[in-house]
Amino acid sequence: MATRRHFADSACWLGLIAGAAVMVFPIYWMFATAVRPHAEIFEAIARLVPSSLSWSNFHTVLTRYPVLTWVNNSVIIAVVAVALTVFINLLCGYTFAKFRFPGRNILFFAILGALMVPIQVILVPEFLIVSWLGLLNTHLGVILPRAAEAFGIFMVRQFMVSIPDELIEAARLDGAGEFTIFFRVVLPLSKPIIAVLVIFTFMWRWNDFAWPLVALTDQDMFTLPLGLNLLRGEVNPDWGNVMALALLSLLPMLVIFLAFQRYLVQGIASTGLK
Amino acid sequence: MPESGVVTLPATSIARRHRAGWWSTHQRRLVPYLFIAPNIVLFAAFSFLPLIYAVYISFHDWTLIGEPDFIGIGNYQRLVYDSLFWRALANTLVYAVGTVPTSMAIGLLLALALNRHMPARSFLRSLYFLPLVVSAVATGTIAAWMFNDNYGVINAIIVRLGGSRVAWLSSPYWALPSLVLTTLWVRVGFCMVVYLAALQSIPRMYYEAARIDGASAVRQFRHVTLPLLKPATFLLLVLSIIYSFHVFDLIYVMTGGGPGFSTTMLVQYIFRSAFVTSEMGYACAVGIALYALILGFTVLQWRASRQTENVM
Amino acid sequence: MNSTHRVRFVDRRGFLRAGLVTGAALAATSLRRARAQSPVTLTLSVWGAQAEQDAFNAVINKYQQLHPNVTIRLEVNGNSMQLYQLVDTRLAGRQAPDIFRIQYQQVGRYALARALVDLTPYLDPGYAGQFGPAFWQAVTFQGKQFALPHHTDTFALYYNVEFLRNIGVEMPRSLERSLTWDEFIRIARQLKQKSDAPYGFAMGWQNSAAYRWLPFLYQHGGQMLDSELRQTQLASPKGVETLAWTQSWFKEGLVPPSTSVKSGEQTQNLFANGTIGMLLGGDWQIPFLQQNMTKYTWDVTYMPRDAAMASDLGGNCLAVSRDSKHPDVAADFLKFIVNEENMREFVTAAQFLPVRTALMNQKLDYALRPDAMQVYVEQARTIPDHLVRTVTMPVFSKINAAMADELDLTFTSGQEPTTTAQNLDAKIRAVLAG
Repeated sequence: MATRRHFADSACWLGLIAGAAVMVFPIYWMFATAVRPHAEIFEAIARLVPSSLSWSNFHTVLTRYPVLTWVNNSVIIAVVAVALTVFINLLCGYTFAKFRFPGRNILFFAILGALMVPIQVILVPEFLIVSWLGLLNTHLGVILPRAAEAFGIFMVRQFMVSIPDELIEAARLDGAGEFTIFFRVVLPLSKPIIAVLVIFTFMWRWNDFAWPLVALTDQDMFTLPLGLNLLRGEVNPDWGNVMALALLSLLPMLVIFLAFQRYLVQGIASTGLK
Repeated sequence: MPESGVVTLPATSIARRHRAGWWSTHQRRLVPYLFIAPNIVLFAAFSFLPLIYAVYISFHDWTLIGEPDFIGIGNYQRLVYDSLFWRALANTLVYAVGTVPTSMAIGLLLALALNRHMPARSFLRSLYFLPLVVSAVATGTIAAWMFNDNYGVINAIIVRLGGSRVAWLSSPYWALPSLVLTTLWVRVGFCMVVYLAALQSIPRMYYEAARIDGASAVRQFRHVTLPLLKPATFLLLVLSIIYSFHVFDLIYVMTGGGPGFSTTMLVQYIFRSAFVTSEMGYACAVGIALYALILGFTVLQWRASRQTENVM
Repeated sequence: MNSTHRVRFVDRRGFLRAGLVTGAALAATSLRRARAQSPVTLTLSVWGAQAEQDAFNAVINKYQQLHPNVTIRLEVNGNSMQLYQLVDTRLAGRQAPDIFRIQYQQVGRYALARALVDLTPYLDPGYAGQFGPAFWQAVTFQGKQFALPHHTDTFALYYNVEFLRNIGVEMPRSLERSLTWDEFIRIARQLKQKSDAPYGFAMGWQNSAAYRWLPFLYQHGGQMLDSELRQTQLASPKGVETLAWTQSWFKEGLVPPSTSVKSGEQTQNLFANGTIGMLLGGDWQIPFLQQNMTKYTWDVTYMPRDAAMASDLGGNCLAVSRDSKHPDVAADFLKFIVNEENMREFVTAAQFLPVRTALMNQKLDYALRPDAMQVYVEQARTIPDHLVRTVTMPVFSKINAAMADELDLTFTSGQEPTTTAQNLDAKIRAVLAG
């Protein structure tokens, strides 16, 4: 019985490894295309392992295009967006979790409704509004329209529901103001959900494509996805370069992910999906 | 994770002298509105205002580069008889049906498997989540590259295994499946993570009790696990359906809506109407129809599940 | 610089109009002279490969040196579709770039919507005569000029020298002896069966460049519209036969199935790696082939012909958008770009064809493969006038979209040519009716 269990466990584990290999293969292939010799890229019979390694594509991409500028733009937009979005999501989710006030349900459903608007519908009107505000081709013009994130609000609310009311009441009885309660009582207890929010928000803002495509017109203001689209959309794209840039744009996200990933499952679990 | 119980808070650090001022008496009532104000303002300005404007434009004919021309409900009338609209809707539904239950089922299987103890468990979990982290543009690019009929690695592997080349991206029959496969690659990790989290919050004692009662593993799954996963399932269902109705970047990069119209989804059709055929008014009408559709779906799901308060 | 002195007044209204134009021009001249000194920033939005970007940057630097108060920013888009999407959105928000590059087939759409600045007041009389008449006509709308022609390009037939040698075929070396349709298909079949290439050839009409199908119609002796550009003629025998012939490429497997009109397939890659033995492609592909076709050598011959010879109208012009805050400076820069010296430098560096009559008759010093470019120069003379008039109609972009849809169905889904012709006729009639 034990050996059968053991066998089943090993088979399961091997299966998972095979599956993981499939998950990782496209990223490996991105890497292989970026480093293999040029002539090999279009071979009819694709070699699984590049015959030789060459970093020239990375060199070309970094010198011919303002990639570091693009990275800079992506970083600024992502970091500011994360700071802003996570903060207002925490405020908002806390409010829906712990306060009763007139109009609460309507506002909640309104936010839910915003979650479902497909961006293509509002792309042009949003462009008109942002251009009227004079924010076209600026970092703020990319950050603000996407700063309100409904998904984050729901996750925070879900999490905060499980914070004991007694703690908050106790602080109120002690005479603490609402802002103080939020900062001194609620936030310290919210570390897991903050980690989850940071990962997801950073991921969404870093990979944002449709809106920045319309809002940023100057090549020097491009974010990495826009730069990648530029390379990819060329009439004769250089695939080695395209993959090199794709890989470069993936790296920072990978780093953030690896740093925070252990909080991910724990954080989502703490939203109390019961 | 906050535990219920006594927590002693240093009284001196948060005690304030009770001040009978206007603010302290009214703050409890005003603070909720203050706290949600940033989000409400942003949503109003950048989601609802544009939506209202889109509704307004949907009653016009507009090439974007000229002036809008009022035409009443002409766009909506056209929508009803537009075979391309229904085709795009059908494609979107097929895509949703192909990706949503599949990704959730695979995600659940992965979560069950990865919930057990095994070497490198955390690392393996990260690997499955990794595809979600890649941008849609990069994913579409690499997928188009791998599925390429002539020099894609997937066909190369098939040929090496003795099969014949599949016209993944140039055949109207295979293009949608390639999209579905790529989407599954992206989404199973997300479903896995949510299910993992849900599985971990099921108290062990339920399983203990079931085992004592003599239930087999399968029965434990059916009677303990599945019911307690309902909130997670509901959440994933709603989010996945919204995602499948919204997906644009991936398709834009991978197939552009073709070949023919086989991978043209509703969002793609909106984009095409707005920017390719210069019919912004019609694009807005289709967009409003799509929005109504998503809203309708979500409301139906809401009613079907009794989990409203627990999940959202 | 632009004061009118040769005014023909037929009646009082004409005289009045002439007077107003004179006065306006004089005012504009003095205003321009005053304004030209304060710092001005212009944006120039283009797409193009590296060679084109470099060429644009070169002419920008030249202009900035001559006019130190003017700064010009180059915005690069991946391809023309991306540019049109961006420019259209920005026009809607009244934030369009000062100058942008447009294909001849798209000028009419912008002119019709009054999105471009009328350049006529900035042009000397007789300016028109310096350009090839077909191209000048392409930028004229309701008697006024809304863009300046920059260059043209066309299609010819690339072939893999080794493959052709292996099947023992010699390609024609003069326009008069270009391949007939039958000869062309025969070579394609031989390539598919006997050479290393799995497919005979491919046609470079991807990314919805459906207008590139029209030359085959003209080669067969047909037209899409009548001479007044009012009635559709696709459902005629010539139209249906051409549809059937181009469909047969796909049915017989002579071309890769992924090379239909709406796909994103990169046909130059297929040619470079030997998947296809011949490529119907444009002159701008030369820099790519020079760099990437390392396993084989390539050469170029003329398009196949049937009842007649015809090729595609390609190329772009440049226009000033209505949102420009300095239309006079923008127009001045435009004229600078398309002057004889700069046009010559641009086309020779980026492998395009000139549109000034003076340059069209010269032997130009192309950076790469001047022998191959010579074929294109000759081929460009076979672009039918009627084709130019058809594709430069203001509503042509809508016709192009309809053509892309129907042709794609014909090639990928086996739609009957007669059905395609009828569908297209109906759609085009709807577009023409407005």
